[in-house]
Amino acid sequence: MLEILIVGAVSSAIYAMLAVGFTLIFGVARILNLAHGTFYALGAYGAYFFTSSFKLPLLLAALLAVALVAAFGIAVERVLIRPMRKSQLAMLMITLAVALVVEQALFLTFGSEYRNVPAFVDAKFTIGGVSIGGARLLALGVGVVLIGALWLFIQHTRMGSAILAISQDAEAAQYMGIPSDRIFALVMGISAALAAAAGVLAGPFLTVQPTMWLLPIVKAFAIVVVGGLGSIPGSILAALMLGYAETIVGYLISTSWTEIVSVAATLLMLVVRPAGFFGRRASF
Amino acid sequence: MNPLPVVLNATRRLRRPTLWTLAAVGAMLGFGLAAGEASAQAKTIRIGVPTAMQLQVGRDTQDAMKMAIDEVNAKGGVLGRKLEMVVADETENPETGISAIKKLTADEKVDVLIGGYTSGVTLAQLPHISAAKTIYLNVGSASPSTNAKVKTDYDNYKYIFRVGPINAAHQARQMTGFVSGFVKGELGLSKIAIVGENAKWVQDLVPLLKKGATDAGADVRTTEFFDSQTSDFSPLFSKVKDSGAQYMVVILSHASSDIFAKQWHDAQFPMPYGGIDVKSMDGDFCERIGAKSVGEMAANFAVRAPLTPKTIPFFDEFRKRTNRAPVYTAFGAYDAVHIYAEAVARAGSTDTDAVIKQLEKTSYVGVPGTIEFDDTHDVKPGTATYKGPSFLFAQWRDGCKREVVHPKELRTADFVYPSWIKK
Repeated sequence: MLEILIVGAVSSAIYAMLAVGFTLIFGVARILNLAHGTFYALGAYGAYFFTSSFKLPLLLAALLAVALVAAFGIAVERVLIRPMRKSQLAMLMITLAVALVVEQALFLTFGSEYRNVPAFVDAKFTIGGVSIGGARLLALGVGVVLIGALWLFIQHTRMGSAILAISQDAEAAQYMGIPSDRIFALVMGISAALAAAAGVLAGPFLTVQPTMWLLPIVKAFAIVVVGGLGSIPGSILAALMLGYAETIVGYLISTSWTEIVSVAATLLMLVVRPAGFFGRRASF
Repeated sequence: MNPLPVVLNATRRLRRPTLWTLAAVGAMLGFGLAAGEASAQAKTIRIGVPTAMQLQVGRDTQDAMKMAIDEVNAKGGVLGRKLEMVVADETENPETGISAIKKLTADEKVDVLIGGYTSGVTLAQLPHISAAKTIYLNVGSASPSTNAKVKTDYDNYKYIFRVGPINAAHQARQMTGFVSGFVKGELGLSKIAIVGENAKWVQDLVPLLKKGATDAGADVRTTEFFDSQTSDFSPLFSKVKDSGAQYMVVILSHASSDIFAKQWHDAQFPMPYGGIDVKSMDGDFCERIGAKSVGEMAANFAVRAPLTPKTIPFFDEFRKRTNRAPVYTAFGAYDAVHIYAEAVARAGSTDTDAVIKQLEKTSYVGVPGTIEFDDTHDVKPGTATYKGPSFLFAQWRDGCKREVVHPKELRTADFVYPSWIKK
């Protein structure tokens, strides 16, 4: 029982880091970013590349990877998305193209082999008789801190208020003198950095290879549909639900059934309550 | 009207036909060159290589083949003709696989095909290979079905041979031998758990394995399948642990092997594991997951050990050329080129029927063992008395080295328990 509690919390934290960024950029800039999983993949590859090729210490490599991915996210928004922001369809195509181009670039640079991101902690911990790897506990801890920090940033800073204002009504906010373009770039950077951090933290115990962007985007999608597209509390709640649902199914039924949970939850939610738990209206 | 667009339009109108003409002339020139090249190459024997080029299996197929071709050509080729290879990407998709065969046989007019990786692709390609009446030496896919028609419809499917790996039915038998002979027989661990990914070949294999193990007196405590996308094995490990098993037998081929090994190591899971783990066959598997597979036993089709006089020289030369350790398609591809070249030499021509007759008589000492074909043109597996290719169960050791532990007659070191398991 305790095992389900801990393992479920780790999965939920990683899902939440992915989903919060995904929902944030949608809520604020109305960008349905299919390249979100790409940021996750690039984070993991960045940590691998800097530690193996430049022999940088892991912490430095991780920070560098997250910073570069954030810069990449901003560049994608500035160069590719901004000129096309009027069309949802064009944005879907552009972000999907970015994801595919990056996947192929990773194939060409690193090959199809699995890569190893070193772990910050290799020790094993025992909590109440349940053994759990240090890397997982760290992912849980950092995930909670990062999301908490983001929450404080949005609720308690001037910049945060600007983000909230734009998410409520972009046009009105612009009339009030809030520079929406700059806010979009900032949010894209935050969203990319969160995904990259998830990649760096999950890399040591999950897989690092070129197609690794796909599964996270599926999960992020499921979570934001359940939680309500654009709602941060909704996506945190849905991440917890999905993380625990998968873990419980894995423990009580079979691991081969876990992957169907997210897809089933998405479909069910779309039928029963298309806006999700916290969505203000159906986003589709 | 602004005059500038008019001028621009005029140049555009002019430029387009010019470009087309240039392109056409260029294409004709290119075509002429290609034709010239083809006639110069008429004397070479062309080997078509349908393989999954992006994967390590595909890269190793090509590199090993290049090695064999260089060796044959250095000795003056076959019947005075040099060998050369033409590659086509078959990916893991049957449709692309079929186009690759069509390109190689119809456009490139190759004399023989050597390649293959995914059984599903190979099965889809068979009718097209048969229609092209071109010899096909399979070096990658393991389904017994690929060779079944050689016996039932010889005239149409006599072109199909498998140089390696040993087919899935033989693999199942040898895997059962590992569980009954080694895990139960030598380690004395009779309580086992069988864990496999949810794939057709695994579902086919598990009942055979379970029956073989039970017949040998082992107690199969639990059988667990998981999705190949699984990224968290904690629930699975927990169930295996609760079942009271002492050894975890695995059957893994796709994405999951590296996560599986990492999480097994990180959780210091209290029992050793081993079995078929396709990714763990890669020479760099252990290094790329940070040495977390140390202690795992995995089946291999060959490792750098004196299996035949050719094994160690092949491994060393391959590493020298590529700076990688070869995977199984490499041995198959390397041996296949030599087997084909020798068959052509014996036949005295590249005439398909004559070469097939000679291929059927093959007894070639290759990298993983002696290669001979049975009546379905499938490679015969090794037994206690026959040194054909066999499953070698090798354990990852400190420093990411591999030692053969099973079968006994090929053992290079004794089994060692992972450091956290006290025995």
